[in-house]
Amino acid sequence: MGVINDRVKFNVGGRVFETTATTLANAGRNSMLGAMLDENWNLLQDNGSEKFIDRNADCFSVILDLLRTGELYIPQNVPEKLLYREALFYGVLDHVRSAKWGQFDGNRLRLSCSVQGQAPGDGTAIRAGPDGGCCVAHGCMVHVYDWMLEEHCPLNLDHQRVNDVGWVDPNNIVIGVSERLGRGDGGMGLFSSHNGELRYKFQVSHENHVKSYTAGALSFSSDYKIFSSCKGRSNEYGVGVWDQVTGKQIDFFYEPLGWSLGDADKLQWLEGSNCLLVATMFPRKDNCYISLLDFREKKMVWCWSDVGATLAVDEKRVRDAIAMEDNSSICVVNEFEELGFMDLRSSAANSVRWSSRSRLMKGKMPEEPCYPKLALHGGQLFSSMNDCISVFCGPEWVLTSRLRRSYGGSICDFSIGGDRLFALHSEENVFDIWETP
Amino acid sequence: MKKKPVVIEAYRHRVVADPNYAEKTWKLLEHAIHEIYNRNASGLSFEELYRNAYNMVLHKFGEKLYSGLVKTVTAHLRQISQSIEAAQGDIFLEELNRKWVDHNKALQMIRDILMYMDRTFVPSNRKTPVHELGLNLWRDVVIHSNETKTRLLDTLLDLVLRERNGEVINRGLMRNLIKMLTDLGLSVYQNDFEKPFIKVSTNFYCCESQKLIESCDCGDYLKKAERRLNEEMERVCHYLDSSSESEITRVVDKQMIEKHIMTLVHMENSGLVNMLMDDKYDDLERMFNMFRRVPSGLTIIKDVMTSFIRDTGKQLIMDPERLKDPVDFVQRLLDLKDKYDKVITTAFANDKSFQNALNSAFEYFINLSARSPEFISLFVDDKLRRGIKGVGEEDVEIVLDKVMMLFRYLQEKDVFEKYYKQHLAKRLLSGKTVSDEAERSLILKLKTECGYQFTSKLEDSPTLSVQVLTTGSWPTQPSPQCNLPSEIRGLCEKFRNYYLGSHSGRRLTWQANMGNADLKATFGKGQKHELNVSTYQMCVLMLFNNADRMTCKEIEQATAIPMSDLKRCLQSLALVKGKNVLRKEPMSKDISEDDVFFFNEKFTSKLFKVKIGTVVAQRETEPENIETRQRVEEDRKPQIESAIVRVMKSRRVLEHNNVIAEVTKQLQARFLPNPVVIKKRIESLIEREFLERDKVDRKLYRYLA
Repeated sequence: MGVINDRVKFNVGGRVFETTATTLANAGRNSMLGAMLDENWNLLQDNGSEKFIDRNADCFSVILDLLRTGELYIPQNVPEKLLYREALFYGVLDHVRSAKWGQFDGNRLRLSCSVQGQAPGDGTAIRAGPDGGCCVAHGCMVHVYDWMLEEHCPLNLDHQRVNDVGWVDPNNIVIGVSERLGRGDGGMGLFSSHNGELRYKFQVSHENHVKSYTAGALSFSSDYKIFSSCKGRSNEYGVGVWDQVTGKQIDFFYEPLGWSLGDADKLQWLEGSNCLLVATMFPRKDNCYISLLDFREKKMVWCWSDVGATLAVDEKRVRDAIAMEDNSSICVVNEFEELGFMDLRSSAANSVRWSSRSRLMKGKMPEEPCYPKLALHGGQLFSSMNDCISVFCGPEWVLTSRLRRSYGGSICDFSIGGDRLFALHSEENVFDIWETP
Repeated sequence: MKKKPVVIEAYRHRVVADPNYAEKTWKLLEHAIHEIYNRNASGLSFEELYRNAYNMVLHKFGEKLYSGLVKTVTAHLRQISQSIEAAQGDIFLEELNRKWVDHNKALQMIRDILMYMDRTFVPSNRKTPVHELGLNLWRDVVIHSNETKTRLLDTLLDLVLRERNGEVINRGLMRNLIKMLTDLGLSVYQNDFEKPFIKVSTNFYCCESQKLIESCDCGDYLKKAERRLNEEMERVCHYLDSSSESEITRVVDKQMIEKHIMTLVHMENSGLVNMLMDDKYDDLERMFNMFRRVPSGLTIIKDVMTSFIRDTGKQLIMDPERLKDPVDFVQRLLDLKDKYDKVITTAFANDKSFQNALNSAFEYFINLSARSPEFISLFVDDKLRRGIKGVGEEDVEIVLDKVMMLFRYLQEKDVFEKYYKQHLAKRLLSGKTVSDEAERSLILKLKTECGYQFTSKLEDSPTLSVQVLTTGSWPTQPSPQCNLPSEIRGLCEKFRNYYLGSHSGRRLTWQANMGNADLKATFGKGQKHELNVSTYQMCVLMLFNNADRMTCKEIEQATAIPMSDLKRCLQSLALVKGKNVLRKEPMSKDISEDDVFFFNEKFTSKLFKVKIGTVVAQRETEPENIETRQRVEEDRKPQIESAIVRVMKSRRVLEHNNVIAEVTKQLQARFLPNPVVIKKRIESLIEREFLERDKVDRKLYRYLA
């Protein structure tokens, strides 16, 4: 008897499905199917009759299969967008998302798809969102895509050049823009990723006066702080800190004489050591400046610069820098995609130990070269150069994989997040999504 | 006629085109919400309602749907609020609870229908999710309505008061309503209940504690306070939010304990001191557990206990009666220690700081008397000489451990060492020790306690029957030479020749005060006895082979035994009943130099072998005591000097006070050096050019390599 009581019969858009309450329970109470089975709605009492649902039968079949097996199999005749819409109706979109791609592994990545953008080349930045979506900055526009790669309302920054973008959470992004001469605008704002609405504008005060500024690179900490390199009009250069919850400015680290903070290309919050990595690189400045800031003590605890370096070193100009996950060293890359390392534990800034890999790109230089970029994820090091991304693993950072696609030209930026890797090309406005199956 | 079907057809195929579409759909949903609140939902089709709500959101009528929801739910809650307010007396809480349960169920169903809106429209438009919205409306419309707000609080507080006064209340109902407040948010619970509850409770316990402190003794009071505390914790556990536990127990702690802590601890006839005197472990434990809850509560217990132990100990140590019997004195110390050890283990949770306090109290009063080291050594001597009555080896260990504990308290450990060596030597040489095991064990304990240095001289004490002793290993009591009888002297010469012949480079001195001898003596009626006597006694007795009567003075001249030893020796020969081989005139107990001694012809004994004990120097006589002291002081000099040199060698230059501090630190494991003495030693070292004073700063010393 119990077994028969467990049976549920649906008529979806004319097709009859028979399943069990147990299978449907996999959808969770917070889904339409879960609610339907709740005793409040006494569906199970009249178990003889079939329940009618006025929806697409093919999609229901895929979703029912997902609930039965935990695997997602989308037949040729079911467009993905249609499936997503139906999954959203039933409240099981999260199930579909987590079944669609696996846990990130740089060595097992497959190209999932490429998305053609609206504008021609010259992308500024691409940033992966926490739930598999992404946003792409182009000049004064930011395009936001959810994990289904559905484009949301684009953000128009009113002709202010976007310098960096970052996700606070799946619903909110922060955008830092340049101030235009004589306009007193610029700065940093919090926008809804759903409808592009400006929710908050972050302000900078110097000696209790609110000043306009240019927001450069961004970084976020797990204790809800936002960092941005800032350039004020009256030489108020440095790094500002805001509270994500209150939106208030809580700190400002002024740029010391003969150093560069306000122009920084890259900020990285080091969770373990409570320090911020600030890097300014060629061609933003003629020289490269890398430093670690401790805000509690208002101290630059470590710094390195190639000012006054000999010509021989000059050939190996640092183009990107990233602090390694153990916070004990900084990895840098030059225009030949050679990796170098600097020890953070010795207080006196020492020179770069370049790893002597000879992977010369000579002869294969694309027409429009891009500066190399670095990223770290789960103990794997990623480095973009021209039209491919290299994956390095292990204590010696051996090249283990290379991601390349023959369309779109050089990769100007890439980002990892939500178990996906996004690579933005410079020649065509196209970005690729790499996933682990 | 022709127009109408066209309109209908447009309606069928393009649903949104109907200008009334949104309104119609909303009416449908609104009706469903009414039915749900009226508990009449069985006729509703979930699929249809869900699809309609979905379509409204899809067709951009999310705002209309949401605002309609707010309006409808608010209207229902107004009605509910009125019916709750109308409930009379005790029905009020039950009605509120019933309506709350209904509202929750309705809210769940409404949220089921509007799930799609909750998932898509609500986050992207930053609205409050349906469930939370329902709770907020319940809070604002029902709970915060003027009448219900105060009535609910008063009713809840009244129930708590009734329960405190011993009535049985409906705890289930209480729990549900408190849960309702916490479900509405922790701040609702705190503001609408917890804060007033804490205030009322503070008043309650303020009065209660005042009443009790005037009528109860300390033990009773603490019992009642403990019961109240448990009641409050139980209350939290049964129907309050667990976050209130620390708040309410703090009230009880503060009102019942902290405010009256001094009155309680010093309460006449029942306070802490009385509990300690009467061994009231339960009360002590309760006091400990209650007092530990308030700041510095344990410190208060500890201080009172410490000063009481100090006073008790001081009385014991200063009591002239006690000085007469060192063994009993030490036994009393041990008993005192046992008592407080038991108090601390059973009642005070073996608290480390209490153990420390006990130790410091003992350390304090034991060192009040300069004779403590001597007495402790005497106690050991007594135990090891006589054995510890009816106890096995393990128990001997226990007694020794206890002695070691007293030893640890001594500041003048070297004084103890001096006495201990003397007593040990006597025990070993006279073969009177109960067990070599026990002796070794004690030496080992001293070694672990004080390090190698302390016992290195003791360890090679052999229990040889040929008792050739190494100077230095044995207490170098300057051995007073005595004139041995000629018979013995001859033997000694022989031995000396043999010994020095076989070991070159040694010196042999005789420790006449340590030896013993067997004498064959014939008494009046031809009775023969073998007398086991000490060397001194032998010397004295041998004199009577040639003389009948001798005065004490004459004996002293003949034997050259030091007067103090001689007196003891004569006492044991003439004044001990049953062993008096000599007689004395006059027959008094004391011995003066002119007293006359003669052989006791009438001596009888049942035993053939008669062991004549020495009147043991149970305690040192006054001059001896001073002598031992002086020797100790003398021994300390080189130790202090070497400590000074060690310190200076490593520091090279050091200021006077620092030298004192460092030297004291180095030596305090053995004794507490007197700064004046240290200063003298420094001066002596300067004289001998180990150190010099700095030429500018006279307080600085410089080490001269």
